[in-house]
Amino acid sequence: MDLFHDSPLLTGVRQMLGGFAQHQIRPIAIQHDQEESMPWELMRTAQKLGLSQTAVLDGRKKLTGVAEDPDPTKPKSQGRLAVIGSEELAFGCAGICLALGGSGLAASPVARMGTEEQKAEFKRLLAGDDEKGHIKVAAMALSEPATGSDISGLTTTATRDGEHWIIRGSKQWITNGQSAAVYVVWAQTEPAAGRAGVRGFLVARGTPGLVPGRKETKLGIRASETAQVHFEDVRVHKDMMLGSPAVPGEASGGLADTKKMLDSTRPVVAAQGVGIARAAYEFLLDRVRGGSLHGTPMASHQHIMFELADMQMEITAARLLTHRAAWLADHHQENVAEASMAKAYAAKVAQAVTTRAMVLLGEEALAPGHPVDKWYRDAKIYDIFEGTGQIQRRILSRQLTGMNPT
Amino acid sequence: MDFALDDDQQMIVDTIRRFADRDLRGWAADADRAGAPPDRLAHVAGELGFFTDAVPADAGGQLEAAYSHATRALRGFELGRGCPGLAALLETNVEPALAVGRWGSPAAKASLFASLTAGGLAALAHDSRGTLSVDADGAGGARLTGPLGPLPALAIASHVLLAKDGVLYLLDLAGVARIAVAPSSWRAARWATAELTAHAVAADHVVSRDPAAVAEVLAWARASLAARAAGVATAAMEHAERYAAERVQFGQPIGRFESLIRLRDDALTGAAAARLMALHAAWALDTHHPSAHDAASRARVLAGDVVTRATIDAVQIFGGYGFVNDYPVEKLMRDARPFEALHGDERLGRVLAQKAVI
Ligand SMILES: Cc1cc2nc3c(=O)[nH]c(=O)nc-3n(C[C@H](O)[C@H](O)[C@H](O)COP(=O)(O)OP(=O)(O)OC[C@H]3O[C@@H](n4cnc5c(N)ncnc54)[C@H](O)[C@@H]3O)c2cc1C
Repeated sequence: MDLFHDSPLLTGVRQMLGGFAQHQIRPIAIQHDQEESMPWELMRTAQKLGLSQTAVLDGRKKLTGVAEDPDPTKPKSQGRLAVIGSEELAFGCAGICLALGGSGLAASPVARMGTEEQKAEFKRLLAGDDEKGHIKVAAMALSEPATGSDISGLTTTATRDGEHWIIRGSKQWITNGQSAAVYVVWAQTEPAAGRAGVRGFLVARGTPGLVPGRKETKLGIRASETAQVHFEDVRVHKDMMLGSPAVPGEASGGLADTKKMLDSTRPVVAAQGVGIARAAYEFLLDRVRGGSLHGTPMASHQHIMFELADMQMEITAARLLTHRAAWLADHHQENVAEASMAKAYAAKVAQAVTTRAMVLLGEEALAPGHPVDKWYRDAKIYDIFEGTGQIQRRILSRQLTGMNPT
Repeated sequence: MDFALDDDQQMIVDTIRRFADRDLRGWAADADRAGAPPDRLAHVAGELGFFTDAVPADAGGQLEAAYSHATRALRGFELGRGCPGLAALLETNVEPALAVGRWGSPAAKASLFASLTAGGLAALAHDSRGTLSVDADGAGGARLTGPLGPLPALAIASHVLLAKDGVLYLLDLAGVARIAVAPSSWRAARWATAELTAHAVAADHVVSRDPAAVAEVLAWARASLAARAAGVATAAMEHAERYAAERVQFGQPIGRFESLIRLRDDALTGAAAARLMALHAAWALDTHHPSAHDAASRARVLAGDVVTRATIDAVQIFGGYGFVNDYPVEKLMRDARPFEALHGDERLGRVLAQKAVI
């Protein structure tokens, strides 16, 4: 497998998820955006197809039927598989893509830092249906009302009490925050230790003191649920602290690992931005082919076609950055800068392409339920979550000189 | 050249600013959720002279001398700072009233002004996409067929002033079914679509067949849109500035990060330029300067870019809070769209017009 040519496996996944996006996601996307509802039925269908909520833990086998080579020195394909799949699903609808894969945010630290028992417990908590008859989903609760970009300022605390930890604090903007069957919550265990004291805990729904809060009304990605979550003296067994007890050779489970985890999820998020941009671009292209403007073919106007040419360039560049970041990870090479470049650039392209598409379509795109209006609103989140555009540039700056510019 | 406001203009700006800060901003979030203006809007705004300011005094309105587009641009900027959706309703009567007052027949005047002075609304439509078809009725009038809208105010308007292929038509909408819609922008502005089927416009309701009149009406609308857009961009950054002074990350208010200062400063530079271009276009319209139509169009190009960028960047400065409806900026990002989209892609119009004369 190289960077520029898809293997038959990757091509197959692209085709399968592209078809799923076109035929299953697109027809319901506007409805879920307008109703601000999760596509529970589709989530069940996707799970049956092998698009499990815990794909990160299950590896690629479930989706493709082919297991990853267990030899840790050999290149993997999981990173590229994820970016290819994400682009296709977000091409269908970014909100639905997040509903289908939002649990992956929680599964990712469990896969990376969890012990075998914790992985098994996480999967057990996600098995079966919840009390509403929905498939179960997970949430990753890191951000707080006063702490988003600067995750070292967390105020949620975990205090040791014998065999248990007592978690106290509030989390903000948590994907699947109301519906999750299991939460991976990050809390400060040793305030004096700063970042090193921040650890992740598995907390099951229904644990006394765990109170899902208000669901947010959002600008975009409205098919994905976002809510506050409150932890009011939630008692969690010590075995549910991720990475505990320290297993030789396993990750420590601290905040540094959270950052590493973000390096692996950023290309996936970047790919979603690419998917939105491509959706708007292809919508325009479709309109232009065969379309006419005051009696002349639309395709004969530079005003329109050069915009499309620019969009094509930008989308291709964003996709290449994204695949490069994923390829490096698959080849066990550091990708901090590449992951940040991909995330920041894809967010920029998603916003720029959808904005220009709105302008070119004029009044048409003001109509309620117009897909380009939705993509324009959806695109904005890609410059905010998983590290804002400014935070990606801060990471890149630090890589260049070792300093954090302010 | 004098950039200072005279006493009357200053008074109008101060009054509308108070109204925008207190009432419009206060009502904006609820009106957005409800998809409708508050009941009080008509009364409070009516007291301030909205709705009939472009209707001649002898027809029961308030217009005694020449209409001042400069004053309208000054007030539009303040209205944009308040709430663009409600502002659209407050400004909707101006183009129909001015056009009919200037070129309309007695019958057209009687029909429109009777409605507007009784609290009615009228909307401006521009068939920039050519979706309506026109058949002459053989008596100087026309029959119109095709989709109208989505347009602000159309759900409750008694009349529409339609600009199409160099002709201005006054449509009486009595009996025309409207489908009320709530798009993501200007949700309170009572948008609707309508399907016209051989809708009759009598000869005395064809307001003008002079393409220059159509260009003039669209220039009024463009200057007004540009002024309001500059106000929206400014408001977005007023909210962002306040938030950035309070929000602390990495041990300092985020407003002190240079990259965020740049976002805000560039947006305010753009907004100031757009406001000046809108005022200049309005002055050119008031003085019948030959550059007026071009100035209004250029003002809208810039103001459209500026309001889009500024509202996107205001959401960015708010981070996660910008993406949810606890704060007003996500609404302003949605509300920026019509400033570029209404009446068609402004740049495309300019390009095609210039291509035709080279
Ligand atoms: C829809 C949605 C879903 C989310 N899902 C989750 C989830 O599942 N789990 C979770 O834990 N979190 C989640 N988040 C939270 C998200 O990760 C944060 O919103 C994001 O990290 C930004 O943090 P903030 O909102 O606190 O913004 P802030 O950190 O307050 O930033 C505000 C502004 O300041 C800028 N800024 C901050 N620091 C600097 C700097 N050093 N230099 C220059 N500029 C700076 C930012 O770029 C931004 O423009 C979600 C958010 C949203 C909106």
